[in-house]
Amino acid sequence: MKRVAVIVPFALGEADLARRRAQTSEVRLSADIEYEFLPVKGGPSSFQSHHDWLLLDVAVLEAGISAGEIGFDAVVVDTASDSGVDALRSVLDVPVVGPGRASMLFALTLGKRFGVLAQWEPALARVDKSLTEWGLRGHCAGVEHFDTEPDFENLIGDKGAEVIPKMEAACRRLIESGAEVICLGSTTMHEAHRFLVERLPVPIINPGPLSYKIVELLLAMGLSHSRKAFPKPLVPKPEMIHAMLKSAAEGESH
Amino acid sequence: MSSDVFKVLVLVPFPMSSDQLAKREEQRDEANLPNDVQLHYKTTKAAPSNYVSAMDYVIADIGLLEAGLHAEEDGFDAVCIDTVSDSGVAALRSMLDIPVIAPGRTMFLTALMLGRRFGVLSMWERWFGLYERTLRDLGIEDRCAGIRSIDTQPDSRNLLTGKEEDILPLLHDAAVRLVEDDGADVICLGSTTMHQAHEYLQQRLPVPILNPGPLSYLTAETTLALGLAQSRKAYPSPLVSKTDMISEMLAAAARSEQTTDPT
Repeated sequence: MKRVAVIVPFALGEADLARRRAQTSEVRLSADIEYEFLPVKGGPSSFQSHHDWLLLDVAVLEAGISAGEIGFDAVVVDTASDSGVDALRSVLDVPVVGPGRASMLFALTLGKRFGVLAQWEPALARVDKSLTEWGLRGHCAGVEHFDTEPDFENLIGDKGAEVIPKMEAACRRLIESGAEVICLGSTTMHEAHRFLVERLPVPIINPGPLSYKIVELLLAMGLSHSRKAFPKPLVPKPEMIHAMLKSAAEGESH
Repeated sequence: MSSDVFKVLVLVPFPMSSDQLAKREEQRDEANLPNDVQLHYKTTKAAPSNYVSAMDYVIADIGLLEAGLHAEEDGFDAVCIDTVSDSGVAALRSMLDIPVIAPGRTMFLTALMLGRRFGVLSMWERWFGLYERTLRDLGIEDRCAGIRSIDTQPDSRNLLTGKEEDILPLLHDAAVRLVEDDGADVICLGSTTMHQAHEYLQQRLPVPILNPGPLSYLTAETTLALGLAQSRKAYPSPLVSKTDMISEMLAAAARSEQTTDPT
């Protein structure tokens, strides 16, 4: 049995973690792999500024280093921002997968141009950053949001009747812009995926479940990220990183 | 989720004997596929002698289109093509609602999940046009660090069998140059017929080596598990399907091969 750590980018309790874990029931997964959802120890309260992004990079890095120390066979990050993924790849030899980049590249196996569905206007800057970093701007037909403040704990929950029509309208705008495939811009949108699939004429990529399947594929083929692309630090500082997050968690609890 | 078996049709782009087909089928063992995925290999009725010219590409496209046309009504859940050229994929995607997996396209995009710039390791310089065509179509030419070959005319039916001692060191040298001289951080094997070299190269090189055939099977499983398929917006259906015409064309092509030199 192989074990995959799914790093959840907020310090959530068990009930909220269960809503994240529900993503594993949305796709047929290998019976030989166990997924464990591990929240970060501390981090930002929102996700819309460079301050937030940096804090999340550090928090995910720390949680992923712990997963490596425990002996997990792979690590997935439960955020389509792929926060912390590059840093984790520089220190871990086991596969580290970010749902964001994987979604966009997988979308290009199904069509020539994808669109990204973002949560609200403040989320656009991060999608923009990702498109630049991953060199995929030319393949993106557009980014549209559905003007709804994210709820990182309850996700869509009981707000579906109000939110899903807005998501559908934003997806239709993407299709009008030339999107042949749509990537959900956040793993927190997973509860809406099946409703959107019923309503829209293009493939919709659900980033969390996709990331689990990519991990399975990499494990089956004995592949991992390239060390040439993600070189190791000369001096790894895991103790320093653990100490910073311990301190951050203690600060939050005061 | 469903416990149904996924049936995948793998289209082999040349007519060949069962012994030769068995060498293609060996790729199944390299994929570590889940037990609920079944692969069924099928050869085309006719093919170009190799893939080195625009005429060859067209014959390959129509041969593979015909071979896969009825996959959906025959009960298959997905189609893979056993060639990195992705021949016939676009036309098949326009006709089928089940996923049609393109090994070349899939391999290059998977390489970008693992690194920043990939290299393509090929047997033969005359295959470069195939890679360039897919890279252009994907718009990722700038992510390809280089394409190198060992200048050896490949044997599409017997693959590397009996020639390993000569060929594997040459492939290794070319792969090292892709990494050290060209800056590739992932290497893509330029043909599904090179699968016998994968293990040898992966043991000796410091970067991931992508084996396109097995990768395409696992991608088919991933695509099916997620309930996805190619976008109909990207691959619109024809107004009038000419399935009978296509079948008759390939039957004629096969008859023609029997009466002329098949090489």
